[in-house]
Amino acid sequence: MEKIDKVLVSILQKRFKSIVEEMSIAITMTTRSPILCEAQDFVTGLYDAKGKMLEQKENLPILSFSLGPVCEHILRYYGDDIHEGDVIFHNDVFSMGNQNNDVAVYKPIFHGDTLVGWAACKGHQADIGGAVRGGYNPRATEIWQEALRIPPIKVYERGKQRKDVWDLIFANIRLRMVEEDLKAQIGSCVVGERAIQKLVEKYGLDVFEAHKRYLFDATEKMMRAEVRSIPPGTYRGEATGYYDGHNPGSKYTIRVKVTVEGDGITFDFTGTDPQTKGFVNGTFTSSASATMLTFLQMVNPDIPHNDGMVRPVRMIIPEGTVVNAAYPAATTYGNHLCPITASAIMRALGPVIPDRVTAEWNSLLCSLTTGIDPRKAEPYVDICFMGLKGGSGAIKGCDGYDHIGMIDASGGVLDQDYEMFEQQTPHLILEHELWTDSAGAGEWRGGLGVTTRFKLGGENNTLVTFGEGDVERPQGAFGGKPGVLNTMTLTYPDGKVVKPTTKDLIVGVPAGTIYYQEAGGGGGWGDPRKRKVERVLDDVRNAKVGLASARDDYGVAIDEKTMTVDEVATRKLRSGSH
Amino acid sequence: MRIGIDVGGTFTDFLLTHDDGTSQVYKVLSTPDDPSIATMRGIEEMAVDRGLAARDFLKEVDVIVHGTTVTTNAVLTRSGAKTGLLTTKGVRDALEMRRGIREEQYNNRYENVRPLVDRRYRCPVRERLDYKGEVLASIAVDDVESAVALFKAEGVEAVAVCFMNSFANPEHEEQAAKILREKLPGLYLTVSAGFLPSIRFYDRVSTTALNSYVGPILRRYLKALLERLAGQDYKGVLLIMQSNGGVISPEVAIDNAAVTLLSGPAGGPVAGVWYTADQGYDDCITTDMGGTSFDAALVKNRTPFVTTVGEIDRLRIALPMLNVVTIGAGGGSIGWIDEGGLLRMGPQSAGSKPGPVCYGLGGELPTCTDADLVLGYLDKDYFAGGRIRLDFDRASRAIEDKLAKPLGLSLHEAAVGMYNLINTNMAAAVREVAVKQGQDPRDFPLVVAGGAGPNHACRIALELEIPLLIVPRESSIFCAAGMLMSDLKHSFVKTYATLLAKADRKRFKAVFDDMRKAGVALLASEGIREDKAEFVYSLDLRYVNQYHEVTVDVSEAEVTACDFAAMAKRFHPKHNALFGYSLEAEGAPVELINIRLVTVGVTEKPRFSPMEWAGDDPSKARKGRRSVFLPREKRFAEVDVFDGFALRFGNRIAGPAIIEQVNTTTFVTPEYKVLVDRFGNYTLYLPDREDEACGRILKWKR
Repeated sequence: MEKIDKVLVSILQKRFKSIVEEMSIAITMTTRSPILCEAQDFVTGLYDAKGKMLEQKENLPILSFSLGPVCEHILRYYGDDIHEGDVIFHNDVFSMGNQNNDVAVYKPIFHGDTLVGWAACKGHQADIGGAVRGGYNPRATEIWQEALRIPPIKVYERGKQRKDVWDLIFANIRLRMVEEDLKAQIGSCVVGERAIQKLVEKYGLDVFEAHKRYLFDATEKMMRAEVRSIPPGTYRGEATGYYDGHNPGSKYTIRVKVTVEGDGITFDFTGTDPQTKGFVNGTFTSSASATMLTFLQMVNPDIPHNDGMVRPVRMIIPEGTVVNAAYPAATTYGNHLCPITASAIMRALGPVIPDRVTAEWNSLLCSLTTGIDPRKAEPYVDICFMGLKGGSGAIKGCDGYDHIGMIDASGGVLDQDYEMFEQQTPHLILEHELWTDSAGAGEWRGGLGVTTRFKLGGENNTLVTFGEGDVERPQGAFGGKPGVLNTMTLTYPDGKVVKPTTKDLIVGVPAGTIYYQEAGGGGGWGDPRKRKVERVLDDVRNAKVGLASARDDYGVAIDEKTMTVDEVATRKLRSGSH
Repeated sequence: MRIGIDVGGTFTDFLLTHDDGTSQVYKVLSTPDDPSIATMRGIEEMAVDRGLAARDFLKEVDVIVHGTTVTTNAVLTRSGAKTGLLTTKGVRDALEMRRGIREEQYNNRYENVRPLVDRRYRCPVRERLDYKGEVLASIAVDDVESAVALFKAEGVEAVAVCFMNSFANPEHEEQAAKILREKLPGLYLTVSAGFLPSIRFYDRVSTTALNSYVGPILRRYLKALLERLAGQDYKGVLLIMQSNGGVISPEVAIDNAAVTLLSGPAGGPVAGVWYTADQGYDDCITTDMGGTSFDAALVKNRTPFVTTVGEIDRLRIALPMLNVVTIGAGGGSIGWIDEGGLLRMGPQSAGSKPGPVCYGLGGELPTCTDADLVLGYLDKDYFAGGRIRLDFDRASRAIEDKLAKPLGLSLHEAAVGMYNLINTNMAAAVREVAVKQGQDPRDFPLVVAGGAGPNHACRIALELEIPLLIVPRESSIFCAAGMLMSDLKHSFVKTYATLLAKADRKRFKAVFDDMRKAGVALLASEGIREDKAEFVYSLDLRYVNQYHEVTVDVSEAEVTACDFAAMAKRFHPKHNALFGYSLEAEGAPVELINIRLVTVGVTEKPRFSPMEWAGDDPSKARKGRRSVFLPREKRFAEVDVFDGFALRFGNRIAGPAIIEQVNTTTFVTPEYKVLVDRFGNYTLYLPDREDEACGRILKWKR
């Protein structure tokens, strides 16, 4: 047994964290697709020789709890046919991938002849073949209509590119930039590989392994202590999503049973509605990620992300349900079931640990535009990240976060920079602003949503939508009010108004069309009449809350001309029974 | 003579150096309402010590180099100018939204930072340029007029103008600026296209707003200082420290205030190189704990790291700056209890006014300095050499009433809680600066500076298991020393987007020539001849269709010959080293985006004279004993107190001990031993590193 140097344990932990950060920077700095280099819709990670997580940089956590399981799948698949210099691609949702567009790259790390770990990253590709440019195909009913399956494949073997394999893959993907972006992802893995090799050289493999194990155990202890702080018992929650992309009026309910027993916790989705006919279906790892990222918001945020963190958490996600569709279902929408899954879990645990659960968040509603950019005579693809960013739910002691976006990312993916957006797409931004009164009132206010308006340019434009949040408002907690709903409208140059559904595919959107989207705010926490008057005044002066809401929801009378509080009227409003 | 002056949030530090290698340290309380008062006070003290009037003393001064944390502190404590923003209608919230990032994704109590310009002062203007800078809608002058009316009514002192795509066409911004200048005389104005003409709206609007937010603060300060110096007939050169580790003239600094945002801390790494070089180190971590903020920086191969994607308090600054991590932790950091009932330290600081409770200047909130006093690390009768009497009882009462009682702790438990908490915060900053560069902090000597630093350093080092610390004798004015060791530096950037191989040779050379001419002219105005100037040429390069660049140094010979192939050859390996791959083998074309030139005017550096070897025995410097709290043992103990100025080359001390100087107290914990080097700096080491630590010092013994 190696003697444990506890400081080295924390150094290794921080070092792993900084390496995955460096891998993340490499992808941002070198990729071509704005989905990657602007929005950071990717994750990076390091795994040990058995595929156990050492650390991850989870810009978009919904992608991230698939990397470890796929690493284990790759180890089983190749057995001892794994060599220094190999590079492996993977995206298959029926072998632990989370979404077809999210293509993972794995690189084994060797110290001498010994496999010591893996560097990996996974990014949302601008295109992955299938019937629809950009990948989101609401009409798909089976996987082959959605994407090229890669379950896995070596694109480099012992340092040499397998040219025939490489060419086969990219012959089935529309956009040339995807090839360049996957080269960048390989580069990111090389950054991780070099750094881990240096660490192992510096400390020796035995020391490295022993301290890694100690780190896993220490992290597990932290996580188990967190679980123990939840009263033991079985708690149930459910939440409903609307419209499966095929049948108007359809809905699907996700049901979860959370069992806290001693220092272990189980999330059991048995009883969830069956899978849908179209692409509104989760995969095992998209649902596991959704569960993990929701739970992580209820525990100490300083817990390191490694194998020890996931050990106390068990998941039962039955096949054939909307959270884990059976082969060969279409599943591209799966990541976006996260807000519904998160709500189900929050509804189960909210009453049990009220101080650790937020009011509900705005549900994602997103669009993707593709077409030809006539300025370059090249295709473009853009996911409108800036438009989807609604507000988070408030929590006791803290307002919700304005313009944070889907809970799947919790502020880890970014708006496109406006000027970069206008370079990368033929569109013109007209408005992107915080949306007054969009958040639920409360002693702690929900986070505000945003309004987004842009004029489409381009030719041969297609607009795809995916998301939710147009039926049920995000609920407030403990007397807090709900946030508002999402909307989306297209106004064509001829005046025709099109309201896309939440899972839509609209072809031939003409240049000059005005795109308008409202992403709602999150739910409030606690009685709005208990909110500090000066906070309400500050919100009104900055047009985050309107005068009417200040009066009606918060019981604060503000003089419009002087922008000062009418103390007498306020006392009267606030003393009234409610 | 040369004077380095570092204006901090609490103290203003001075280092006076003479041509014969001697030097003196001065330190006066900062005067935040007009920091130039403290600056002049220090100069007067120096004059008085020489029996001169300030006017006569200043005749002998050739150069004053001046760094300031007034801009930094204005941001950290949100006490900058009331600032307005004029921006394109529709995007006024970009400044606040920060592209929608929440840095701590799993922390639902992690709040956004308050923007420097509140939404009600962010005024939309109808106008629009397209991505190439062509006018889609001309500017609506009445929108500018109504903003002017608002700014006037509300007493807005500074304005930032940042329109969409103005990097490609400054016309609309200039029109708006013209109106603002006419209607609001005296306004501090930053126009983005002039200040930072580069693409990326959020980076530009954030940097521009930062410049306006701190501009009036710096302007007020430097104007007052220039007037006061002129009033004393000062004819020497005044230079201002920048965040990039170089110095510039005050006139340039006033218009570009944001280049000083980390100007105080930027002296630190430069000084760290000097103090560790004598002991043969090429690398170090420098730290500086003053009254308001704590800075940490990493130096490798005697070169501090530079970044252009810097942040201050989570706000983007897209200007080149030394990679210094700054957090709100200092002697003045206030202890408080958060909404969850937990003890917190900082980032609010009591500064110099009202200052810590123990100063007796009206401060009522318990600070780190108050805790240090209660724990015995500071002597109430010897603070600032006895010039400031510390009020022990008042400090104790404040900690008792504000923290101990509400937390259900004893006075000493609360004080040591404050001490430990702030040390943990600082250790995290040190760890961040090392680990972010992929380094293990234990591999570096920790250079400890700042008035409050040496009191806390051992505990910070122990937390990180750092075996070696170097406390410069001029620790309390460390950055002021670094400023005297800095060169004049002017950075230029110009966009020239083209395939590198197809760049027009004439135009390429002309861009460099114009920058060089501008740099040479600036250096001439600062008294540097062209033959004393150095030029650093670099290019921002990328593969076609990438969206970020790599800055690659190129040689003067390559530039002169327009040897584009050689320049591209330098790009590929750097791309590989940073990002894990290069496309050189497949012959991928390289695109040029920006041309950069740094002109460096090498300044004369101060020299310090070494001491004679004086042997192990420190007893001549022992001045008594006093009771201090030992954090590991959790009890008070009597320890030896030494007079730092009486310590000589070769003296050895074993912890626990206190070493007092006029402006710094070093608390040596029981784990460490001390050896004094030939310049009177203290090296603290863990016993198992004795041979290495001492060998580097004793090699100078003759």
